Amino acid sequence: MLLVVTYSRAARRTLRNVCRAHEDSVVTRFGRAALFEPTAFAALQALRLREKHGVDVEVRLTRTFNEFDDVEGDVRKAAAAYESREQPSTPYAKFASGTDHPDPESLRAREL
Amino acid sequence: MRLRIDGRLRTGDAIAVTDVSAAAVAAAIRGDHERVHVAAPEPGPLFEHVGVITESTALRVRTAVARAARTRGLTTELDAERAAVRRRLDELECGESDPKAARRRVAEAGADEQRLRERVAELRGKLQAVRDAGGDESTVEATLSEAVRELSEVETERIAAEQALEAAETGARDERARREERLELEDRAANLAREARARLVDRVREEFAAAVAAVPGADPPADPYEASPVTAALAVARIGEPAAPLVVDTDRFDDAAAAAAWLDAPVVYIR
Repeated sequence: MLLVVTYSRAARRTLRNVCRAHEDSVVTRFGRAALFEPTAFAALQALRLREKHGVDVEVRLTRTFNEFDDVEGDVRKAAAAYESREQPSTPYAKFASGTDHPDPESLRAREL
Repeated sequence: MRLRIDGRLRTGDAIAVTDVSAAAVAAAIRGDHERVHVAAPEPGPLFEHVGVITESTALRVRTAVARAARTRGLTTELDAERAAVRRRLDELECGESDPKAARRRVAEAGADEQRLRERVAELRGKLQAVRDAGGDESTVEATLSEAVRELSEVETERIAAEQALEAAETGARDERARREERLELEDRAANLAREARARLVDRVREEFAAAVAAVPGADPPADPYEASPVTAALAVARIGEPAAPLVVDTDRFDDAAAAAAWLDAPVVYIR
């Protein structure tokens, strides 16, 4: 999908108008950003915004994050285990230390 | 004020004119008209709202009322914060660097690489075919080695292009963080302005209502903010302290002197 993020009041206004005019192409709207269907028509709207507002408009191509494909199993397991921890106040680093769960630093170093 | 039309000089705080449009006098007050010249204090921010009052006046009443309150020196508790936000906005520098060229370079290098890869594969097949047929390999071989050399060059270019794009994206990310801050500050400034305006409007509510009720020839509604634009404009001008002369083109007053007296301001009255 196309993620369009705006960085000025004027660009945000235009994005709002575009979303209103082309609701069919909009998947979700956030305050100053919107997610569009992955079609050339949505790309046209995104590029139009960029023509008008230049670097105040950021466009990214996104896709669904598949946790069974995009990360290793230890990350999934760690997330599940952390969410069912007994002490809600335990930060992840402390939770992971002394266990098989990956520590935050090594996770940061791993790219998706 | 001193007003000169086609070289004829008039002075005073209430001047009636004929054969000149309100727009022409307004342009003269702003300092730019060929036939009409006005020597008077510079128009302040109130002038853009109620500087010219005609039967077709359009008015954002609350904004104008708040402006009028400002001309009287009224302030709000929010002004200091608003000034601080504006100062921060002025200091904030947002670059204009756009990684567009870097993106294009990556796309072009990628396309070149793809094209050359296909060409090399095709030439390898051709070379094999020539060999199998026992033909002369040398021409195909030379073409292939040239294509391989080009491919390696293009690969190098693609890698360099990707690195350049990555660097440009990092720079763009920093810049976006500043733009984000700017947007937040702008929103904050707008909210403060709205809130300050509401407070100012509130401070002069009674006075504005009284002024609306006192406009000659008006049939004031229960809510003064529902008054006709020309009535509202006259009331705003009356409660404010306009710096420059007002240009009045309505039949609400008998003459220039009556208008100037009611508005308590210098007036150019279009007859």
